Amino acid sequence: MTLGIAFIGILLIALAVGGIAFAGAGRLRSSGRLHSLPTYHALHATIWVLAPALLVLAAWAPMQTRLVNEAVLSSPEGQALPKFEMQRDTILAEARQIAHREIEAGFNPESTALAPRVLEAEESYAGIGGIAAILIALGAGGLLVLRRRDREFRARTSVERWMMGLLIGASLIAIFTTLGIVLSLLFESVRFFQLVPATDFLFGLTWSPQMAIRADQAGSSGAFGSIPLFWGTILIGAIIAMIVAIPLGLMSAIYLTQYAAPKARSVIKPLLEILAGVPTVVYGYFAALTVAPWVRELGISLGISSASSESALAAGLVMGIMIIPFVSSMADDSIAAVPAAMRDGSFALGATRSETIRKVLLPAALPGVVGGILLAVSRAIGETMIVVMAAGLAANLTANPFESVTTVTVQIVQLLTGDQEFDSAKTLAAFALGLVLFLITLVLNLIALSVVRRYREAYE
Amino acid sequence: MNSATADAAITRWTGDAMQSRLRRRYRSERNFKLLGFGAVGLSLAFLAFLLGTMLWQGVGGLSLDFLRASDSTDPAMAGVWGALKGSFLTILVTMALAFPIGVLSAIYLEEFAARNRWTDIIEVSINNLAAVPSIIFGLLGLAVFLNFMHLPRSAPLVGGLTLALMTMPVIVIAGRNAITSVPPSIREAALGVGASKMQVVFHHVLPLALPGILTGTIIGMARALGETAPLLMIGMRAFIAVPPSGITEPATVLPVQIFLWSDEVDRSFVEKTSAAIIVLLVFMLLMNALAIYLRNRFEQRW
Repeated sequence: MTLGIAFIGILLIALAVGGIAFAGAGRLRSSGRLHSLPTYHALHATIWVLAPALLVLAAWAPMQTRLVNEAVLSSPEGQALPKFEMQRDTILAEARQIAHREIEAGFNPESTALAPRVLEAEESYAGIGGIAAILIALGAGGLLVLRRRDREFRARTSVERWMMGLLIGASLIAIFTTLGIVLSLLFESVRFFQLVPATDFLFGLTWSPQMAIRADQAGSSGAFGSIPLFWGTILIGAIIAMIVAIPLGLMSAIYLTQYAAPKARSVIKPLLEILAGVPTVVYGYFAALTVAPWVRELGISLGISSASSESALAAGLVMGIMIIPFVSSMADDSIAAVPAAMRDGSFALGATRSETIRKVLLPAALPGVVGGILLAVSRAIGETMIVVMAAGLAANLTANPFESVTTVTVQIVQLLTGDQEFDSAKTLAAFALGLVLFLITLVLNLIALSVVRRYREAYE
Repeated sequence: MNSATADAAITRWTGDAMQSRLRRRYRSERNFKLLGFGAVGLSLAFLAFLLGTMLWQGVGGLSLDFLRASDSTDPAMAGVWGALKGSFLTILVTMALAFPIGVLSAIYLEEFAARNRWTDIIEVSINNLAAVPSIIFGLLGLAVFLNFMHLPRSAPLVGGLTLALMTMPVIVIAGRNAITSVPPSIREAALGVGASKMQVVFHHVLPLALPGILTGTIIGMARALGETAPLLMIGMRAFIAVPPSGITEPATVLPVQIFLWSDEVDRSFVEKTSAAIIVLLVFMLLMNALAIYLRNRFEQRW
């Protein structure tokens, strides 16, 4: 028996009990008024059969996977597997697929021998969990069927209480996610700061997390000064990208709101939004393959000998393009929020359209625009794929945009995608970087949102 | 007296001073408008160039075999089927989790929640989560789902969970907008004929708000489909020559496949990468078109 069969069994029991409750309530109804409709009686019964049994099943499923893996790995065939975790997991997964007859043979020859062990272990463990869950469902169903319902039974109230619980539970998930992010980042960062002093991390000028090959070797802890990373992040995300995105985004918004005919606007605006919808990996590929070589040639023709094929300029330019629609739509909103009376007053005094925009609309919309730019910066510095593919890995502390720089996000990816053990300072450093990144974007967002909100209130 | 005549000379419409000032102002007006037009044109030109480059480089790599084959070390044999299947499974998990959770919390916040500190905390969390960089969600997935809960590495299950947490706030925000746009008279009428609060919401408000919610959901799903960074964090970058058969098998997704191929030294992977990008863009285009269709077909103006 597999858990799938147990699941279907529980569903059938729940349906049957629900049907019995429905029929019973229908009989009661034919002889007089009921408090709740028969549907609610049926729902009530179904919920009480399903909820406990499915909870047991849900708790059992992950446990079973682990128990099966342990049983398979402790068998003689499992002992012979390579120790490297990713490779071992791949072989285990293939063995599982062979056991379920989804594939004939795996990429790794070891998996064929492992398949029968997987099947054995799964059968024995699934039997235990499945039978337990079905017994619980049967027990709950039996109780519900045996208990007689009277006309006054408030099935609807009970069902609605369950639904309310579901609603509250769903909205609490947002809090749990935030807590999960903060706690997991904090927890790993604290462990990192036990290995590397926080001052070294925050104010150090050298970043070279390369470890010695053996852990017991002297000087194996690398240098974790994060200043070059933050400088690279700022250079790309807050300087170069914004030099591209602010003028283009702002002028696009002005053109679309003040000059373009409504028909043109309704076509151009969605087209601009496509820029924001293109996946970042596509931008990264474009930056690395098309833009970066141009930037390098441009640098060389300008006489900059250090121009590299991975440059801050290429990544920043492309990131700026990606941010354009974001800046544009924020500016659009804040210009639209300026009261028409101000614009009309300016026209009445004889100002031209561009004078009105420059002298009246933009100053009035400035807080909203600034808020939008802050949000855009926060998005740019958290952006990963473009910089991973186009900015490079060298932690240079340079203001030369033709040189390669690295960013916080690049290093997080770099530190965590190697085959590292989880407890090394290298992997923990990624969480410390993540924590700082999270805090910076959080502060930027909070400032931006409060600026935008206060400004909206001023004109309402 | 003297200054008055001088003013009169300046403000006379036919005077040279006034004419040249007017010319200057008209010129600057024209220039400003051209500047705006140029900004829009440049942005759209970037878009056209980006899409054109991908099409030009990748169209030769598109074929039925490319769609049917899985990853391979030999560029001639490599295809996207494995990655597509991984993407499909991952998005399925994301959808199955983020849609109900997002809709239910939107309903709770809009229709039931009292205005108190708890509601404020929930709202602030949701608004912040919508702006947290995606790579942070990857770190969360790595720390919680892999190292704490020991779910299988590289699996669509974990990828879907991570993306669901990321997409959920988007759905909540879209859902709340859709629910508020349902006019109160609908609720009052239902309450008036004796429906309970729960019946009002689930029988009347939700069906009317559903097209708006679905539009927001599809846009969120399209974004999740194109997401790369968080999935790199949880190890969905393994070399997968056999398409995954379930949500707990190791898998990769289309954007990660693009990233992996773009790193290959072999030049013939360039065509494959661009072809994979075309496939990804076509899927995202289809999803967005569906969202626009839903919005136009079912949108109600009250």
